[in-house]
Amino acid sequence: MTGLAVGVALTADPIQPRGQLRSGLTYWLASFQAMFRFDLGRVRQWAAMLVVIQVMMGAGMVLMYGFFYPQITPERALYIATGAPTLALIPLGLVMVPNAILIQRIEGTFDYVWSLPAPRSAQAASAFSLYTVLALPGTVLAQLVALWRYSVHLSFSPVLVPAVLLCAVMAVTVGYGLALAIRNPMVVNVLVNALIFVVLLFSPIVYPASQLPGWLYDVQRVLPFYAMATVIRAGLTSGLATQVALSFLILGAWTVAGCLATAWVVGRRH
Amino acid sequence: MATLDLPILTIPPGGVERGWARWGHDYGSMLRWHLTSLRMWLMTIAVVQALSGVGFVLGISLFFSHIPVSAALYVSTGVPVINLLIVGLILGPQLVAQQRTAGSYDYLRTLPVSRSVTALAWYTVCLAVSVPAVVVSLLVAQLRYDLPLHISPMIVPAVLLTSLAATMIGYALGHAVSNPMLTNVVTQALVFAVFGFAPVLYPIAQMPGWLADVNWWFPFRHMAVVTRAALTGTGGSAVSTGYLVLGVWTVAAVGLVAWSLGRRP
Repeated sequence: MTGLAVGVALTADPIQPRGQLRSGLTYWLASFQAMFRFDLGRVRQWAAMLVVIQVMMGAGMVLMYGFFYPQITPERALYIATGAPTLALIPLGLVMVPNAILIQRIEGTFDYVWSLPAPRSAQAASAFSLYTVLALPGTVLAQLVALWRYSVHLSFSPVLVPAVLLCAVMAVTVGYGLALAIRNPMVVNVLVNALIFVVLLFSPIVYPASQLPGWLYDVQRVLPFYAMATVIRAGLTSGLATQVALSFLILGAWTVAGCLATAWVVGRRH
Repeated sequence: MATLDLPILTIPPGGVERGWARWGHDYGSMLRWHLTSLRMWLMTIAVVQALSGVGFVLGISLFFSHIPVSAALYVSTGVPVINLLIVGLILGPQLVAQQRTAGSYDYLRTLPVSRSVTALAWYTVCLAVSVPAVVVSLLVAQLRYDLPLHISPMIVPAVLLTSLAATMIGYALGHAVSNPMLTNVVTQALVFAVFGFAPVLYPIAQMPGWLADVNWWFPFRHMAVVTRAALTGTGGSAVSTGYLVLGVWTVAAVGLVAWSLGRRP
């Protein structure tokens, strides 16, 4: 922040507005850095709780799905264990991020942040990065719990890194865009709860997609949740996941959609 | 004759009214109060309840390539329990937390109405919102899975006691925990625990032994036992134990409510 303000204040004519509109990559990066520090400072008191809730939900769901089966066959164990990271990422993106936005909207934080002399794209990018970073520890822990509980053998592949990152970014951007684009907090709340329900029951995350009826499979092919499970499963096993490239494309499209929704809200005057 | 004026000055008008007529009148007023203050919500809650119940009943079959009848039976008889307890146990405390934040909590406490009346009116509302969802969930389950259900008359006490225990525990939670944030966190954790870590939707044998033992001390397992027994026409010592444990929980919760409402803030 100091880098942005001090240099100009000493030399500028007090009556003239300060310089011309600043832009360029260096300025954007400096703004991004400043906004990231600002967001980090703001979220610091919540960060530990966010991670704990995420671990509880992710790891909790991993354990809970196992209770629903009379026998946990090796196949079922493998599906549940490889669904674990997806189960941990979805609540973060679809519940915690929208909730955080709701609170910020009620507190008026957005108006303040938008008044700061930093490009709004840098502000949004900073929020996306922060939540993506916050998503990772809970995801790893959920996976560890799954490995411990179901003692399955996984074969990690390098695809896992881009897969988890893309899933985290996708979940955060979609949650962020959703919460920003819909102005009524009640609607966001209802939507988020309905989504969680749909995701946990009707998405083939912890069971094979072949168990879905045809029409539901087609619906799930468009929604991002099955795609998340597919790309992460592709990074954890060999041969279990199919249509991995298509799933990456679907996730990319959802990320772009989330960014566009955010850009649309952030970019217009109100 | 001059002495007649004195009591009028010192005693508040009307004095304390008692009796059944007064009680019934208050009950009617409080019921109207609850219904009016929730008027926009009640329909929504009832519909969401029914939809989530139906969703669960239908969705569980996706977990299996061919769902065993026992699994379908457990879910279909467990969903009504969840329908019965979610309004009283989860929404109730959240509502009280909301009232605390909004300030209407203190107002409600100043009303010249017995606390038992307010509680009973709330119980009535909880029951009225959840019973339709129970019926819809069971109907859909029956249509989808063709289950061997034998509904016995014991369904009446089972439903009444399950809902009463849940409502009173929620009521105690809402009134005894004065921090609204904490209430919300506890209720969220409870939803999670009831769905996943209590043997409501699946047989108790499918969870680790120690977790089953822990569940003995909590009411959810017993709610499922008494309701399931009434829906499938079975009985046994577990059912009587279930009623007993639920009774103890209800009494304890009512005691806690009485204590937290009776003391001065």
